[in-house]
Amino acid sequence: MAAEVLARSLAEPAVLAADVKLPDIDYLAIAPMLVLFGAACVGVLAAAFVPQRLRYRVQVSLVIGALLVALGLIVTVARAGRAVATAGGAIAIDGPALFLQGSVAVLGVVAVLLIAERSLERGGAFVSRASLTPGSAADRDQAEQPGATEVYPLVSFALAGMMLFVSANDLLTLFVALEVFSLPLYLLCGLARRRRLLSQESAVKYFLLGAFSSAFFLYGVALLYGFAGATGLGALRKAVQAGDGNTTLLFLGLAMLAVGLLFKVAAVPFHVWTPDVYQGAPTPITALMAACTKVAAFGALLRVFTVAFPVGAVDWRPVLVAIAIATMLVGAVLAVTQTDIKRLLAYSSIANAGYVLTGVLALSAAGVAGSLFYLVAYGFVVLAAFGVVTLVRDADGEATHLSRWAGLGRRSPLVAGVFTFLMMAFAGIPLTSGFTSKFAVFSAALGSGQVTLVVVGVLSSAVLAFPYLRVVVLMYLSEPAEDTPTVSLPGTLTAAALAIGVLATALLGVAPAPVLDLAAKAVQFVS
Amino acid sequence: MSLSPYLPIVGLFALAFAFALFSVAIAPLIGPRRYNKAKLEAYECGIEPTPQPVGGGRFPIKFYLTAMLFIVFDIEIIFLYPWAVAYDALGLFGFVEMVLFIGAVFIAYAYVWKRGGLDWD
Amino acid sequence: MHPVIPYVLAALLFGIGGYGVLVRRNAVLLLMAVELMLNAVNLVLVTADATIVGLPHSGQVFALFVIVIAAAEIGVGLAIVLQLYRLRRTVATDSIDAGEGTVLPRAEPMPEPGSAQTGPDQVGAR
Repeated sequence: MAAEVLARSLAEPAVLAADVKLPDIDYLAIAPMLVLFGAACVGVLAAAFVPQRLRYRVQVSLVIGALLVALGLIVTVARAGRAVATAGGAIAIDGPALFLQGSVAVLGVVAVLLIAERSLERGGAFVSRASLTPGSAADRDQAEQPGATEVYPLVSFALAGMMLFVSANDLLTLFVALEVFSLPLYLLCGLARRRRLLSQESAVKYFLLGAFSSAFFLYGVALLYGFAGATGLGALRKAVQAGDGNTTLLFLGLAMLAVGLLFKVAAVPFHVWTPDVYQGAPTPITALMAACTKVAAFGALLRVFTVAFPVGAVDWRPVLVAIAIATMLVGAVLAVTQTDIKRLLAYSSIANAGYVLTGVLALSAAGVAGSLFYLVAYGFVVLAAFGVVTLVRDADGEATHLSRWAGLGRRSPLVAGVFTFLMMAFAGIPLTSGFTSKFAVFSAALGSGQVTLVVVGVLSSAVLAFPYLRVVVLMYLSEPAEDTPTVSLPGTLTAAALAIGVLATALLGVAPAPVLDLAAKAVQFVS
Repeated sequence: MSLSPYLPIVGLFALAFAFALFSVAIAPLIGPRRYNKAKLEAYECGIEPTPQPVGGGRFPIKFYLTAMLFIVFDIEIIFLYPWAVAYDALGLFGFVEMVLFIGAVFIAYAYVWKRGGLDWD
Repeated sequence: MHPVIPYVLAALLFGIGGYGVLVRRNAVLLLMAVELMLNAVNLVLVTADATIVGLPHSGQVFALFVIVIAAAEIGVGLAIVLQLYRLRRTVATDSIDAGEGTVLPRAEPMPEPGSAQTGPDQVGAR
C-alpha cells in the first residue's frame, strides 16, 4: 500500500508544468541594471586576474564605462516611452524608476570620479589591504602602496543595487536590492587609508544598525505577506483597498517596513548612525552615500507608499508628517552645534531628508516631481561639497575640523569661492539649485494643503542657513592660522567632479526648466 | 479558531519540563556523593578536558575565514533545491537561469581562490 | 484555522532578538541576536505560506532568500567585527566611542595591538 503511494508520487513530477507560468522578461527594460551587475562581476574577476599595475585603470574604466552604457540604455528605454512591470511583475520600469535610475547613474559617475582620485594622496583614499591592523608595521608600509581596487566592483554592486531598489515592484525584490546595495556600503565605509580606527568603527556602527533595521524591514515584509498573501506591490494595493484581511498584520507590517526605509533615508528618529558614519567613512564614499543612497532610498519610499498603500485605505500621513517635522528640526538644530565639516554636512543631509519627505507628503504629481528634482539637485551639491572637503588637507590627511578652515578664503580664494557657492546652494539662496528644489517641494506641499510642514520647513531652512554662513564667515573673515591646512591642487578627476557638481548646481538654479519638465513627465507609477 | 491541535504539544512541553524539574530536585536527595578529581573537572564529553591556553585560548584567523567562506558558498546552494523540485516544469529557461546563477557563484569562487583565501598556510 | 500561535511565537523570537540587540555589548552576540530576528521572520513567512492555498509558494521561496541573504550579511558582519577585534582586542560595542564631534588624534596613537605572542593574524576566541 505504502509502496504504491510512493511509486505514484515518484511517477508524478513534484510541480506540474501547467501550474508554472514562466515570467516574461523585457530584457531591454532591465538592461541598464544587467550591464552594471555584469560589469561588477567582471570587476571581481579583474581584481583577481588582471596584473597589479593595470588593475586600477581597468577597474575605473570598467565602472565608468558601464555607468555610461547604462545611462545610454536608460535614455533609450525612456525615449521608447515604455512603462512596464516586467519579470513577473517584480520590476517596474516606469517614469519614476527611469528618472531615478538615470539620477543614480549620473551621480554615480561623479562619485566614482571622486573615488578614483589618486593624486591628492599617494595611492588614493583607500587602504591597500583591508585586513591590515591599523598601527602595525605592515600598516605603516602600506601607506605608500596604491589602494585596493576591490573598491570599484563594490561600488558597481552598490549602484546596481540602488537601481534595482528604485524599480523593485515586489517586496522580495525590494529586500534583495536593499541588501545588495547596503552590504558593499558597509564594507566601503571601513576602507579609509587615513584614520583607520574611525573608519572601521563607522563600518561596525553602520553594519550593526543597518542589520537591525533590515531585520525590521523584513519582519514588516513578512507580516504584509501574511496580510495580502502575495508580495507584489500591486497585489498588496488590492488587498489594502479590499480591506478584509487581518488589519493587525497590515498596520504592524506597514510600520516595520517604514522603519527600514526611513533608516535608509536617515529620517529622525532613525538617523543616529548618519553623523558617525559620514564622518568615519572615506570622504568619497560619504559623498556616494549622501547623493546616491538618498536617491535610491527615497525612490523606494515613494514607490512603496504611493503604489501599495493608497491614503484612502490606510492613512499613514500623520505619522510621516510628524517624522518629517522632527527630521527637519533635529537636523537643522544639531547642524548648528557641529564643529566638524563632515558631521555638519551629515546633519544637513538629515534636514534635507526632511525636505524631500515634505515633497513626498504632498501626495500629488507635483509633489513626486518636486521630490525627484530635489534628489538630483541635492545630489550634485553634496557631491561637490564633499569633493571640496577632500581637497583641504594637511600632512595627516583631510583637515575636517572647522577651526582649521579659518582663513581659508585668503589662502585659496578659488576653493573657498566654490565652497561658498555650494553653501549658498545648501542654504537655498536664489539662482542656485537649492532654491529651485526647495521651491518645488514646498510649493507642491502648499498646493496639497500641508501648511504646517511648509512653515516648519521654511523655519528650519532659516536655522540651517546659520551653520553654512558660519563656515563662510570663518573662511573669509578669520585670520589664517599657522596651521591652516593647504588646499591641494585637485587632480583631473576631482576637478572634473567638482566642475560637474558646480555647473549642475548653477544650471539647475538658473534654468531648472528642462529637468523640472523631465521630472514632471516622470511621475506615473505602474504596478 | 481552534487551538486544540496544539494541545498535545503543550502536554509534551509540560511533561519535559516536569521531568527536568523532577530529576534536578531528586538527585541531591537520593544520590550517593562520591567525589573524585575527574568528577570535579568541567564536563567535556566524558573525556579529560583538553588544557586551554592562558587568556581564553587563541585560534588562527584562518579558521574563521575558512568557516565563513564555507558557510557562504554552502548556503548559496540552497537555491538549487526549489529548482530541482520544479525542474520539469521550468524546463530550459530554469536551466539557463541556474547556469547563470552558478556562474555568478563561480566568479566569487575564482576570486577567493586566486587571492589566496583558500590557502591554509 | 488561523495560525495565531506561530505568529505569536515569531513575535516573541523577534522581540528576544531585538532585546538582545539593544542590551548586548558583545558584537558577536549582537550578530546572533540579529540572526534570531531574521529567523523569526522566516517563521512568519512559512506560517503565512501555509495559510495560503495553492501555488506559488512564494513564502517558502522568500524564506530561502532570507536564509541566504542572512548568511551573506553575517559574513560581512563577522569580517567587520573581526577587524574591530584586531584593533581593540575587544568586541564590546560600547567601547566604540569615536565621534560626537571629538577632535580625533591625528596620528592615531594606538597601543600596539596585542602583546608579542599575538601577531596581527591571531584573534582570540572567548
